[in-house]
Amino acid sequence: MEWLPEFLELPQMRYAFLIALIAGPLGGVLGSFVTLRGMSFFSDAISHGAMTGVTLGFMLNLAQGVGDPGMQLTLVAFCVGMALFMAWILERTTLHADTVIAFTYTGSVALGVVLISRLRGSRALEGALFGDILASSAMDVWIMAGLALVTLGFLAFNLRPLTLVVVQENLARLEGYNTRRLNYAFVVLIALVIALLLRQLGALLISGLIVVPAAAARVVAGTFRSMLLLSAAFGLVGAASGVFSSYHLDTPTGPTMVLADVVILILCLIGTALVAARRRQGGGQPRTGLLK
Amino acid sequence: MAEVSPCGHAHGTPPGEPILSIRGLGVEYEGRPVLEEISLSLPRGAFGCLIGPNGAGKSTLLKCVAGLVRPGRGEIISHARRVGYVPQQLPLDPGLPLSVAEFLSLKLTRSRFWLGAPRRGEVRERIVRQLDEIGAAHLADRRLGRLSGGEFQRVLVAYSLLNDPDLLLLDEPLTGMDVRGGVSFDGLLHHLHDHRGITILMVSHDLHLVEHLSDVVFCINRDLCCHGRPEVVLKPENLARAYGHAPGMVTDAGGGAFIPIRNVR
Repeated sequence: MEWLPEFLELPQMRYAFLIALIAGPLGGVLGSFVTLRGMSFFSDAISHGAMTGVTLGFMLNLAQGVGDPGMQLTLVAFCVGMALFMAWILERTTLHADTVIAFTYTGSVALGVVLISRLRGSRALEGALFGDILASSAMDVWIMAGLALVTLGFLAFNLRPLTLVVVQENLARLEGYNTRRLNYAFVVLIALVIALLLRQLGALLISGLIVVPAAAARVVAGTFRSMLLLSAAFGLVGAASGVFSSYHLDTPTGPTMVLADVVILILCLIGTALVAARRRQGGGQPRTGLLK
Repeated sequence: MAEVSPCGHAHGTPPGEPILSIRGLGVEYEGRPVLEEISLSLPRGAFGCLIGPNGAGKSTLLKCVAGLVRPGRGEIISHARRVGYVPQQLPLDPGLPLSVAEFLSLKLTRSRFWLGAPRRGEVRERIVRQLDEIGAAHLADRRLGRLSGGEFQRVLVAYSLLNDPDLLLLDEPLTGMDVRGGVSFDGLLHHLHDHRGITILMVSHDLHLVEHLSDVVFCINRDLCCHGRPEVVLKPENLARAYGHAPGMVTDAGGGAFIPIRNVR
């Protein structure tokens, strides 16, 4: 296949690249809503807690490796369960959201560590911590495509109520939307994305793919529409260039993808700061829409 | 509670067919009564104000009318074609990248698919026209999170006016506004009531504003303490009863109304 660029000659690079092309924009757009709703910590907690799901999958002999279908199902069940549990508690307590998230998350990680100590030879646990996108198969690409379809379809179909909730939940309820159901559906969606991306990016890095491109988009976007489009674009560019650079720099692929996202975010921060400085010098116009 | 209020001023209510009748309304929150046996009616075209101490259930009453809170007892009969509700201002993420025009377009679209505000065309014109009416056309392309308290409040009013309500509910619209913002905002309320003929029911702590804007005042402290024309309800003895005690209040030099000290601007 001579028409392919050099880095795509190996089949595992091709799969990794395809997954990056799908997961990047997917994470970015989902991340827009995650960050605007102040749920970055929530998604972080699910991804870290998911380690316990991995351990359970091994202990119950549901899977031999992180990439097994049995493990995928265990992870989906565990992450969705954890997300629903947190959302349910949050609905019924006066504790702060970050407190509830912290105790669920540390509790889950603690349980995971206790279970790991029981697990003889922590086999593929490292794979779950850091992920291995190069171990992806054609099946994983299809799973990712299906996930993108479900996630982006849900977000598109609920764009109006979700945006209203970001401003004020009552405004969405006044339009007749069931915001409670919407909130639960949203946390399930976050859990689903994390559970199915864990194998590629790992518990420690997955949030980066969701939060960082969205944060970069938020820094430069002036409107909601541009934030959504930019978060998808940044997600795409970050993930694709991450796979590309990891091949040429011979670095681990998942972390390089997240690093590329971080570089984009830093460039956005520097860019807006420069624009703000120039605006202040020329004419002393008021600063709007830039760094806080 | 019967139609006749303790201060006996049912006859002081302006005449007209009620746009809103509330009968025996009761709301509990976590087993604690928030509203008990409230009955009141608001004539069409009136400017009604809800006053009362903090935690008296004023906002809850408004939310019941808006349909955001389901009352445990009683009934609300509304003859309004459409109800507009301006929520109490909550802190907004200042970095939220949502322009005023985009925010307003959320009200205009009926579809769940919403793709931002168009730059031109009918929707854009309606948005600008609506902003213009309330003197805020210059805000169309500003970010929602960067507006001042008064500007955001105006935008919230514009939002609720977009579906052309004949009953407008406002929950403490002057909170977070400076004196000048407050003065120009009451001009806006005047305009909506006098020129557009919208019936208004407003929760307010600002008794000065209540006195000069409203036709009818409902003084609430879980139940309806008294109601009637402002010059009657805002008498010191009525307020003292509703707010619990007279100390902590000062007499207004002009009209004899009482103003809780914490609300003096």
